Amino acid sequence: MEQYSAQLDGIFQALADPTRRAVLGRLGKGPASIGELAKPFDMALPSFMKHIHFLEDSGLIRTRKAGRVRTCAIRKRPFAAIETWLSAQRALWEARTDRLEQFVTAVRDKGQAR
Amino acid sequence: MIQAVNSELDLTMSRLIKAPRAAVWRAWTDPRSFEQWWIPAPAKCKVLHMDLNPGGAFVTLMSEGGGAFQPHLNACFLAVEEGERIVFTNALTGGWRPAEQPFMTAIIRLHDHPQGTEYAAHVMHKSNADRNMHDELGFQDGWGTVAAQLARLVEKPA
Repeated sequence: MEQYSAQLDGIFQALADPTRRAVLGRLGKGPASIGELAKPFDMALPSFMKHIHFLEDSGLIRTRKAGRVRTCAIRKRPFAAIETWLSAQRALWEARTDRLEQFVTAVRDKGQAR
Repeated sequence: MIQAVNSELDLTMSRLIKAPRAAVWRAWTDPRSFEQWWIPAPAKCKVLHMDLNPGGAFVTLMSEGGGAFQPHLNACFLAVEEGERIVFTNALTGGWRPAEQPFMTAIIRLHDHPQGTEYAAHVMHKSNADRNMHDELGFQDGWGTVAAQLARLVEKPA
């Protein structure tokens, strides 16, 4: 269960950024090179590569280098984890509990500091 | 009472919260505190009713993007045991009146733990077919539905 939760955390963090969502949207149409993916964004390549690495680390995409061109493609499997309605509900309750935990511990820290 | 878990329709989760049980209980049952974590920022939550008794109304509103407050949860408490357990359902509204669009019952349990409080939720859903109705929660709480929609988008054949 915890492993599942950690996997979802990574996925949701990866999806929390508009650039990364746009990249995923583009890759949904088929694999693309880094150059092609970076084109619509007004962003230095190293910054863009951070997003690519984030997506790759979270398991949402895979990349492969052929000669001097690195190609990215969607990995289907991780999406299965968030695709079902019940896992969406789980994510909702997990996030809600995260916020409760943060709220309770923050209030407590404030109280102790006094 | 022991509830059987139906893995198709239920979700269960538990979390160790490093704070006393009374503090967690307060965060849940004090409306001003509850409003601060129930819905993810920047959306705002307002508790309209939180009558912590069996049959008591549990009604929350939410506001997104600074807009007017809209209905969010309209539910009824089924059991409230001070410091230990809260059970609510949206199959009923306040005063045990049958609801229009029931889909879930939630059981929240708090247990003492050497490092704080063990917080557990068991959420039972009516059926997967009700997912559209559940958009009320799923959509407004953001992640779940957004992620599912994105998954559909990227998995659409070219």
